[in-house]
Amino acid sequence: MAGITFKNVVKTYDNGVTVVPDLNLEIKDKEFVVLVGPSGCGKSTTLRMIAGLESITDGELYIGDKLMNAVAPKNRNIAMVFQNYALYPHLSVYKNMTFALELAKVPKNEMKKKVQWAAEILGLEPYLDRKPKALSGGQRQRVALGRAMVRDPEVFLLDEPLSNLDAKLRTEMRSQISKLHKRLGTTFVYVTHDQTEAMTMGDRICVMKDGIVQQFDTPQNLYDHPCNIFVAGFIGSPQMNFIDAQVKKADGGYALCFGDTKVISDRSELAAYEGKTVVLGIRPEDLHAEQSFFKEGNSIKAYIDLDEMMGSESYLYLEYAGQKMIARVPARYAKRAEENIELAIDVEKIHLFDKETEKAI
Amino acid sequence: MDKKPSHARTVIAYIVLIILTFLCLFFFYILIVNATRSHPQIQKGFSFIPGHSFMKNLRSVLNDANIPVISGIKNSLIVSSLSAILATYFSALTAYGLYAYDFKLKKPAFVFIMLILVMPTQVSAMGFINLITKMGMLNTLYPLFLPSIAAPAVFYFMYSYMQSSLPLELVEAARIDGSSEFHTFNRVVIPIMKPALAVQAIFAFVSSWNNYFIPALVISDNSKKTLPILIAALRSADFLKFDMGKVYMLITIAIVPIIIVYIALSKYIVAGVALGGVKE
Amino acid sequence: MKKVKGNEVSYAKYGYLFIAPFFIAFLIFQFIPLIQTIYYSFFEYYRSGLKIIGPNPVGFDNYAALFEADFGKYAGNTIIMWVIGFVPQILISLLLAAWFTDIRLRIKGKQFFKVVIYMPNLIMASAFAMLFFALFSDNGPVNSTLISMGIIAKPFRFLSSVWGTRGLVGLMNFLMWFGNTTILLMAAVMGINPSLFEAAELDGCSPRQTFFRVTLPMIRPILIYVLITSMIGGLQMFDVPQILTNGKGTPDRTSMTLIMYLNNHLFSKNYGMAGAVSVILFVIAAVLCLAVYFTLNADDDSKRIRKRDRFKPRKEAING
Repeated sequence: MAGITFKNVVKTYDNGVTVVPDLNLEIKDKEFVVLVGPSGCGKSTTLRMIAGLESITDGELYIGDKLMNAVAPKNRNIAMVFQNYALYPHLSVYKNMTFALELAKVPKNEMKKKVQWAAEILGLEPYLDRKPKALSGGQRQRVALGRAMVRDPEVFLLDEPLSNLDAKLRTEMRSQISKLHKRLGTTFVYVTHDQTEAMTMGDRICVMKDGIVQQFDTPQNLYDHPCNIFVAGFIGSPQMNFIDAQVKKADGGYALCFGDTKVISDRSELAAYEGKTVVLGIRPEDLHAEQSFFKEGNSIKAYIDLDEMMGSESYLYLEYAGQKMIARVPARYAKRAEENIELAIDVEKIHLFDKETEKAI
Repeated sequence: MDKKPSHARTVIAYIVLIILTFLCLFFFYILIVNATRSHPQIQKGFSFIPGHSFMKNLRSVLNDANIPVISGIKNSLIVSSLSAILATYFSALTAYGLYAYDFKLKKPAFVFIMLILVMPTQVSAMGFINLITKMGMLNTLYPLFLPSIAAPAVFYFMYSYMQSSLPLELVEAARIDGSSEFHTFNRVVIPIMKPALAVQAIFAFVSSWNNYFIPALVISDNSKKTLPILIAALRSADFLKFDMGKVYMLITIAIVPIIIVYIALSKYIVAGVALGGVKE
Repeated sequence: MKKVKGNEVSYAKYGYLFIAPFFIAFLIFQFIPLIQTIYYSFFEYYRSGLKIIGPNPVGFDNYAALFEADFGKYAGNTIIMWVIGFVPQILISLLLAAWFTDIRLRIKGKQFFKVVIYMPNLIMASAFAMLFFALFSDNGPVNSTLISMGIIAKPFRFLSSVWGTRGLVGLMNFLMWFGNTTILLMAAVMGINPSLFEAAELDGCSPRQTFFRVTLPMIRPILIYVLITSMIGGLQMFDVPQILTNGKGTPDRTSMTLIMYLNNHLFSKNYGMAGAVSVILFVIAAVLCLAVYFTLNADDDSKRIRKRDRFKPRKEAING
């Protein structure tokens, strides 16, 4: 069992493009870490460096306490699940799972036992003699997992493993992979661009952008305390609203002014921003239509451009003080498009960001 | 409304197709009929009905000391089989080398092969004969199959096939599974390439089986001759003295095995021809 | 322990290793011979009786001798016989490809027809030529049939007539290649997005208009490819006329092709002249190879151009 450590790792391709400029990351033993970010953010490259499929330009990569830079993939004691599963099309499910074991010269009966064990956990017993072609997408996905499991790796690497499945199967496989992690007690590194997968599965989530780690934290902390505008906008759906607000001195702290709204905050850090503009972030679910939330100055009277009825709740696309906002309110409080609505901002839940650095205040 | 003109066009299309089919099959039909008729019958005129001299013609071909048919078939089989194996295996290997690996000379190597894709081998025949003479390979079968190792057209087919059917992730999965690079090629890539290998093996076999230009220059020893040289020898002999039943029989021996294999595998061969032209 | 270069994992050397056999075989069996061929084309180097004359450097004398002799005539023969075969080949192939892919025609037995028309391509050309020689000889089956049907009074001597011989070579080339071309063109037509044909039909195109305005422009790249590869095939024309005329290009060398001419020099061991012929053939082939290279690699460009072309007629329709 082993953790993974990146020390000042750089990845530059032969064409001179640097995708990872300076990566420092410490993944603990037995942890389920999700690398998440928009496409091209370097998350897959990072995973492939762990696997040894991409060479490391500079810096050091450790698995456990062993330096891995120059170790061939097969000697890293890792297993990888690929986005398109990468099953050997000419081999049966059983042979797919034993391919690595045969190369490692594992005795026949031990091989059989291991496949049996994995097939039982994954519900693959009826399909062992089939070729991948004769399996559904979800079954292929499970074979790919099984192929990784039988090898008893120290680290499991998963590269967008659910992106080729339909929505329902994805939800199902999500919980199955989480369960598998608990059962195996191995380090999992999971790459995805889907924040729902990241939030539901990860012990810790590493949000990346342009090859740089933005924030590496637990799902709850990422949601409650995003460290910058990028992370705040990336996590949560619909996206957090960002509003430019003037900071003014007021009773009991500072007032954040936009339109007719004055939200009072007692955050002392605002002293430095007096008279300047900051970015106020508020999640759509923290805009309320219920009476109990209204206080002096915290309301916005907005025009509804568009409404999306989701059943139990409604998404309202608003326009207020020349800025676009989204609110997520219970269906019974919602109004329809082209009407006006009054909403209260939950002052406890506001996020404040520096307009220049985009960092949290 | 548009059914009527279509109907007329369908009739015309069938007439043209039947004429072309007739053209394609007619000559072979006469060939096979004449191979079963005796020389006097053939001289008398032409007939659609097979004769009874098949065995007699066959025996007289096989017993003719000047036409070593048995060794001709054997030589043709050896040369064509080895050509097919070498051309397909090494083309797949070359295509894989350029497809799966990154190295400095990758692009130039690829461009080079594409440039010589359709270069006729005849243009270097003079130097080729000279060289194999110096290497002591004149009058041996080696120069007839060894050059197949470098078959640019087969390479191009394999490369295109890999692009459509061999995801690189599969190679990476094998690498993580602990497979060496050669093991991956032989145990993962080759099985996936089977359809392409089969089609190209057939084409390589047939073109080698039919090849006349180079073998005629390389081989002079009767026991090393391949079938096309024997056919050509037939032509250069004083034709009128020949037993025509024997002539037709020898042509039949050269052509019919290929036709039988073709009919058995026609589905794959025709599909393979179509694949060769599609590059999108 | 292996594939470790410095401090990183590298597989580059396997790339070199895997492509090495190809390049070694190419070097030995094609490249070095080609260099030698070019080299000796500047030498007087031939066999006279049992004596070897040369090699003595003679500059461009061999080339000059070539053009003084009948090189131009043989080039002309090659072109004529190629055209006789190619023109009907491309026309029939286009027609068949259009018919086979026309859903409204509903031709049954497509697979059977494809199998039949491709078959002559696999036949040993030398045997095929021998067969034609036997069938069309002065008292062969074709003549006897024509006489017995009363079409001609006495045997027509196909192989003693200039156009008879050239026509037969062209006919054989046509028979051997039209099936192959048909299948290639069909594949190209079937590669066109079917909704394009549906759109053309909705726009009121007749089958003929669809063929000329949609199908032909769309398969242009493959037509060019077929044309050039066929030219290269024509350049290599040898087996059929060689066997049909016993290497003599009868009558009066009017069916002697360039490769037959090369073959004669190779057989008489006139390496200097053979080299000169080869070099000229190489230059022509190299130009054609470049053309193939660009048709295969201009894919992206041609697609972009084609896309633009597709919108052109529509604009014209709006304007006028």
